Amino acid sequence: MEKNVAQIALFAALIAALGLVPPITLPFGIPVTAQSMGVMLTGAILGARRGFLSVMLFLLLVAIGLPLLSGGRGGLAAFTAPTSGFLIAFPVAAYVTGLFVEHIALRPIALRAALGAVLGGIVVMYAFGIIGMSIGLGKSIPECLLLVTAFLPGDLLKAGVTGMLVSAIAKARPQSVAWSLNV
Amino acid sequence: MQSGPGIHVQDMSHNIGPRRILDRISLQLDAPRIGVIGRNGSGKSTLARLLAGLIEPSQGRVLIEGVDVCKDRRAAISTVGILFQNPEHQIIFPTVLEEICFGLRQLGRNKADARDAALATLTGFGKAHWLDASTETLSQGQKHLLCMMAVMAMRPRWLILDEPFAGLDIPTRMQLTRHLENCGVNLVHISHDPRDLAGYAQICWLDRGQIRAKGDADVLSAFETEMIHEGARDDLADLAG
Amino acid sequence: MISLTSPVKTRAHNWPAGLKLLGLAATTTLLFLIPGIRFQAAALVSVLALYTIPGRHFLHHGLRQLRVIWPFVALLLVWHAIAGNWPEGIRTALRMTSAVAIANLVTMTTSLGDMTDLLHRLFRPLRRTGLPFGIIEIAIPLVIRFTPVLIGKGRLLLDAWRARSPRRANWHIVLPMALLALDDADHLAEALRARGGLNPRDED
Repeated sequence: MEKNVAQIALFAALIAALGLVPPITLPFGIPVTAQSMGVMLTGAILGARRGFLSVMLFLLLVAIGLPLLSGGRGGLAAFTAPTSGFLIAFPVAAYVTGLFVEHIALRPIALRAALGAVLGGIVVMYAFGIIGMSIGLGKSIPECLLLVTAFLPGDLLKAGVTGMLVSAIAKARPQSVAWSLNV
Repeated sequence: MQSGPGIHVQDMSHNIGPRRILDRISLQLDAPRIGVIGRNGSGKSTLARLLAGLIEPSQGRVLIEGVDVCKDRRAAISTVGILFQNPEHQIIFPTVLEEICFGLRQLGRNKADARDAALATLTGFGKAHWLDASTETLSQGQKHLLCMMAVMAMRPRWLILDEPFAGLDIPTRMQLTRHLENCGVNLVHISHDPRDLAGYAQICWLDRGQIRAKGDADVLSAFETEMIHEGARDDLADLAG
Repeated sequence: MISLTSPVKTRAHNWPAGLKLLGLAATTTLLFLIPGIRFQAAALVSVLALYTIPGRHFLHHGLRQLRVIWPFVALLLVWHAIAGNWPEGIRTALRMTSAVAIANLVTMTTSLGDMTDLLHRLFRPLRRTGLPFGIIEIAIPLVIRFTPVLIGKGRLLLDAWRARSPRRANWHIVLPMALLALDDADHLAEALRARGGLNPRDED
C-alpha cells in the first residue's frame, strides 16, 4: 500500500520534473519537452492501473493551479485551451501503454515498451488531441490530423527512447518493472 | 513469549537477495542510551530498519517493550521511532504542520487534536513560528530537527538513530544532540564514529553482520584500535559478494 | 511550490471555489452555444474587464498567462483568411481566448487550499464507489513535496553533465531521473511505514 502510493506520487512528480527541467535534446537535435515521454514511461513502468492513477494525479495538480506543465503552465486554462484534448488523453495514454506491456508478451523489453508507447502515447494521445482541437478550433478532423502530423516524427522517436529507457530501468531495478519478468 | 522492558532481538537473521546482511543476532538491551558501532557495510542500517520494524527479518524477531515491532505496527509506532541518516528520505509532506500532524493522525488523533499537539511540540522545541513553513526551504540542520520533532510528537519510548549526524557541522551536531538529550526518550544510536557514542552506557560492536562485542566504553576503544589498524591496510580493494 | 494563484488579493478570492468552477463551466458552455460574433466579442471584452478590476499588476500577470494561445489565434486567422472566411476565424479565436482567459481567472483567484478542500468534497461520494480516489487524495501533498526535490536533483544531474561534456544534455538524463524517482519512492514508502503507514479514512 505505502509502496503503491509512494510510486504513484513519485511518478507524478517525475512527469512534472521532466516538464520543468530545461528541455533536453533527442537524437538529430530535436528539442522536446520530455513531459509526454514521462507519461509513456509512467504507464510502461507502473503498469495500467497505477500508471493511470499517477498521471491522473498529475493532471489534478495542474487543474488546481500548480504550474507543472512544460514551460511552467498550469491551472484550469490548460483544460479550456485548444490543446486540452492531449492533456485529457494523458491518463488514458498511460493506461493503454501499461495494458499493452502487461499483456503482450513480447521480447525484447525495449520493443514491447516502445510499441506500448506508440499505442498509448501516439494513437490514443492523437485521437483525443485531434478531437479536442477540432472542437476548440472549429476545424474538421482531417484538417486537425494534418496539423499534428508535424509532431509525428518527434513522437515516434520519443516512443523509441521510452522503450530503451524502460529496458535500462528493468535491468537496473528489475523488481520495479514487474511485467518485465513474465515473458 | 518473552516480553518486558527494553529491546529483545531474538535469533534474528536478514538476507537481501542472496546476501546475508545480518547473521543470527540475539541481543537484550535496556539502558537510556545504547550505542551500536560498526564500519560501513557492517549491516548497521539494516539493523536500524529491523529495530524500527520497517522491514521483516528473514528469521527471528524484534520485541521492544514486548511489542513485535514488525507485526504489530499500530503498537510499534507509539513504541519506537527512527531518524534516518538523510532527512530528505524522511520528510513526507510539503509543510512543517502536515509533516508533524501525519504521525499523530496515524495514532488516531483527529485533525484539531493533531494540530494542537503539533503546535505544542514545536513550542516545546522553541520553533512555534515554523508551523506553516515549507519543508523544502529548511536548511539541512533544520530538516534534521523537523524529523526529530515529527517523531518526538508521537512520544515513542525508544528512538533509533541511523547515523543522523553524518555530514553535519559541529554546531548543528551539538544543537541536535542537546535537543535529543532533552527529549527524555531511550536512544539506540547507530554510528561508525566512536565520537558520537562517547559516554554511552551500553555499546554493541557490529562486524560483518554479527555482534563482535558488547559492553561499555571498552568496546569503543577496542573498535577504535582495530579501525586504525585496518586503516593501514587496503581493504577498499575487496569487492562484496 | 508556488501555485498560479495571484498574490494580489481580490474579492473573488473569498468566493466559494465550487461556485467559481460552476460559473466557469456555465460560461464555457455558453461560449459554445451562442456563436454570434457580437456575443463572442462582448464576452471577451467582459472577461478582460474583469482582469482590470484588481489593478495593473493582476492584469499584467493574467495577460502573460494567455501567451500560450497566440500561436493558435494566429493560425486560425491566417487559415481562415486564406480560405476566404475570415469572420469564422475571428469568431473562433475570440471564443478560444475567452475560454482560456476565464479559466485562468478562476485559477488566479482560488487558493491551493480552497481547491484541495473542494476536491475533497467532490471525491467524498466517489470514494464510496470503491475506486481508489482516496489514494489520489493522499498522494497530492506527496507530489507537492517531491516535485521540487526531483527538479532539484534533475538540475544537479544537468550540472554534472555540463561539467564533463561540451554538448547539451540529452535524453540520457531521463534515466537517472526515473531511477531517482523509484529510489525516492522506496524511501518515501519506508518513511510512511515508520510513522504508521497509510490507512485512508474519512475525515471531516
